[in-house]
Formats: sequence, C-alpha cells, structure tokens
Amino acid sequence: MKVALAQISPRLGDIKTNVEMHLDVLEKARRAKADLVVFPELGLTGYTLKDLVEEVALDPESHPLFRKIRARSRGISTVVGFVEERPSEKGLFYNSAAFITDGRILHVHRKVFLPTNGMFEEAKFFAQGRDFRSFATPFGRAGLLICRDFLHYGASYVHYSSGADMIICISAAPGRGIEGGDAFETSRMWELMGEAMSYFSTVFVLYANRVGIEDGVTFAGGSFVFAPGGRLVGRAAYLDPELLLRRVDLSAVRDARKKWLFKRDEKPDVVLRSLERAARAAED
Amino acid sequence: MPPKINPSLVDKVLVRFIRDELGKSGYKKGILGLSGGLDSAVCAALAARALGPQNVLGLIMPYGPGFPEDVRDAERLARRLGIRHKTIDISPQVDPYFAAHPTASRVLRGNKMARERMSILYDYSAREKALILGTSNKTELLIGYGTIHGDMACAVNPMGDLYKTQVRELAAHLGVPAGIRKKAPTAGLWPGQTDEGEIGLTYEELDELLYGLVEQRKCRKEMIEAGHRPAAVNRVVRMIRNSEFKRKLPPIAKLSPRTVGHDFLYPYDWGK
Repeated sequence: MKVALAQISPRLGDIKTNVEMHLDVLEKARRAKADLVVFPELGLTGYTLKDLVEEVALDPESHPLFRKIRARSRGISTVVGFVEERPSEKGLFYNSAAFITDGRILHVHRKVFLPTNGMFEEAKFFAQGRDFRSFATPFGRAGLLICRDFLHYGASYVHYSSGADMIICISAAPGRGIEGGDAFETSRMWELMGEAMSYFSTVFVLYANRVGIEDGVTFAGGSFVFAPGGRLVGRAAYLDPELLLRRVDLSAVRDARKKWLFKRDEKPDVVLRSLERAARAAED
Repeated sequence: MPPKINPSLVDKVLVRFIRDELGKSGYKKGILGLSGGLDSAVCAALAARALGPQNVLGLIMPYGPGFPEDVRDAERLARRLGIRHKTIDISPQVDPYFAAHPTASRVLRGNKMARERMSILYDYSAREKALILGTSNKTELLIGYGTIHGDMACAVNPMGDLYKTQVRELAAHLGVPAGIRKKAPTAGLWPGQTDEGEIGLTYEELDELLYGLVEQRKCRKEMIEAGHRPAAVNRVVRMIRNSEFKRKLPPIAKLSPRTVGHDFLYPYDWGK
C-alpha cells in the first residue's frame, strides 16, 4: 500500500479554508495512487484555538463540511484531526481524530493526554478522551493516537496488545530547542519514540506533524514513517509543507514477528494484573 | 444591556486594587491623563480615594486651544477632587512632525497625539515616581477603540472590565459632575468628533451587543435571531476580531524550551 503524510499548515480558526486544503491534498494524493492520507492534529481548525474551540467544533456525522471530506474519500482512506462535539454531548469539545474509508467513519479517537503545562493549555479548553481502541481497516488493524498520547508509551502498548499492525499518530508538535543539529531538539524526541515503538511493537508507525506558525510558535514538521524493526521508511522536511508519499508493505509486520518474538511472548494478562496492583497502590 | 452594577461594591474593589497594585510595586503616587471626559474622571476619583488626593497627579494635555471646554472641565474636576494637576499643550510636539510629514488623515494625527500624551505620561511617571493609571474601559478594549502604545498604555488599569454604560453608573455613584457625565463621549481627535458618530453605534447598542457576544458567549447567528441588526452584529464581531493585537503583547518567535510569554510564566505580582 501507499501512505501519504500531509504535512500542512492549516489556517487558524477557518474550517472552510482548511476543508478546501484537505480536499486539494486528498486529490493530489489520489493522483499519486495513495491508499491512506494522514492529516495532522486539528488540521481542520488550527491548533492555538483557545476560546475559538466552541466556534469550530463539529459533529462528524452531520456537519456539511465534514461530509465533503467523507464524500471525497471514495476509494481512499484518510485520517483527519478536528474538534468534535456530538449532539448527545453538547458543550463537550474533544480534540479528535477520525479514520474515514470510502465515506464511512471507521473510528474516532479522542485525545486522552491533554498537555496542560508551560506553553500548553489543552485541558483548559478540551474534554478528555477515555479510551484507546484499535480497529479493522482495509489495511489491517490500526490504532490512532493524537500528539502527546504517543509520548505516553502505555497508549502504544494498548494498540499493540489489541493487534494493531499500524499506529497512526497525528500531531501539532511545536519545535523547541535550538542547540541540536538541523532540526528543533524536540523533533528527535518524536523520532526516538517512533523508532522504539516500531522496533519493540513490530508495527508500522505513521507520524503526521504539521508546519506553520501560530502566535510565535513554530510547528516542527518532520513527519515520518517507521517500519517494524525500527526501519525509517521516510521523513518529511522539517519546517516546510510536504506531502510525504511512501510505499509500505504490511507483510513486514509478519516478517519482523518471525525474527523478533516480542509479540508471541507478550503477556498482557501479567502486565494487566501488575498494572492493576500498581494503580490500586497509587490510589491508596 | 450589561447588568446594572452595584457601584459601591465596584468602588470598594477598585479602590483596593489601585492601592494594592501601586503599593506592591513600591509606589505611593498615581498619575493619569485627564481629558475632561467620563473615563478619566472616574479613574481620577477612584485614585483620589485610594491614594489620597495629594498623591494623584492629573495631566491635562490638550492639542492647542481647540478644546477649551474639555480643559475647563478637567481643571474643575481636579480642583473638586483636590488632586494635583498640570496642563501641557502638546501642539509643539505634534505640529513640527506633521509640518515635515503632512497628512490629511485625522486618524493618523489623532494616533500621533495619543502617543505624544503617552510619552509625556511616562516621562512624568519617572519624574514623579508615580505609576500610570489606565483609563480604557471594557467597551473600548473589546472593539479596539484606542491607540496602541497611546491611550492604551499604562501600568495598571482599574477600568478595563467595566463597559462604558457601567462606567456611567459608577460615575454617578462617585459624584462625577453631571456636566462630564452628560457630554458626548469623544476621543478628542478633532473638534466635533464623537465616539458614537465614529463607531456608528450608540454605547447602549454597542454594550448590549458586546454583552451578548462576550459575556453570554452567543454566536453571531444567535444575536441576529435575538433581533439585532445583522450589519451591527457583523461590524462588532469584526471590530473585536481585528483588534486582538491591541490586547496582547506581540508574539515572540519561540526557539528555546523556555520562552518569555510562552512557557516562562510568572504572575504580574511576582515577588511583590
């Protein structure tokens, strides 16, 4: 299959423009024969929303602009980041990612780990997601994560344990630290996690980060694909927009698991029991 | 309309705010520009109560002789409150500039005047060891009806969370003379200019729209459904959106893990 990571720079607070941008990229990716196009976190809205959150929130089942994206996903799959508000949960706004195939929403993940420290204030504006759940796609099982979710490695472990072949992380990660090489120092942090998770979970890791600047903050780009075993398949430019297209062969999951027996020998039941004890102890 | 305020409570809170903020910074004295209008009169009255009249200096800074009533109102108010005051004509700072750089734009001229007043206030702030009290109200701040680095510049602002119509209520409570309370609000940019004429809405209409959009968090559509004129709603929404830059420090390009304004975050009252 062919994956496309859409490293775009959305326009802050302007869904209409961003939907058009998504549709353009989808068409471009379709012409390049991509099967799956992954957009960054809050790609439909921009990141630094603050009080704009409530104005850009939408119901993915019914919103006409979201329907446009679904309509344009005939014969292709896409992951889209948006602010979710359901009619059944009015006033609760989630930082969400939807996996869409052929016009159908296969899964919506709500960001669980909302960074709220230093420059981040997500929990001031967003409700917290409460689940990690992998799901079947036309290309094997996938697990969705949003930005900080990926830095809490338990999240990837859940996807791995429930049979994911592919962990897809959408991100709006700002660059920080200028004492490294040709990229912000924080870019290394994401690559390290991508490499480690693909290695020890023997899965594909697709990481789509955004670029652009909002209120002085530069989003670092550097989206990447790691194949099982920590093999870098491709990385997009730091700082600049790009549509990163890479062919991936999902049989690499099987090949890696023949070589490295982590998955066969994994003991989620033991981990779970131990975790329950640890969690209880933390509560006491 | 914004709800009626309890003026004696607001008076108490703002008097304590002025005293506390100046005191924490090690200041006993406050300074402000007196225009002869409502907002600066209210601010001066609060400052006189908070700091004692002898510790408040009102600078009256007319442009030339074109606004004699405003100057007279400002001087009368200062005498009535017992605060110190000083009148400085800003035309010698303004005219040579526009002689060299002529413009027909009244807005450009008005902005320049506001910034000359600001530079005098900051100079006198240092001379007098007095902190500058801001007089921008919530209505002005929300629609951006003020000159950035001009009349919006200050050390502390006791007025910024009161709509204009609420400032009027407070003014009555504080005994601001009816002459000042009743006159048409003006930025004094040119003779005959009024805020309401320039903005295109009365303060009552404006505050009602702002209260719905900001306090009640209503969207544009809800405001129009509630019976407001679409043109007025759209205009106010646009003014709010286009003036956010006046309410923020300029964005700093983030490079390091700790950046002023982004994640180097300390309280304003740090160590005070």
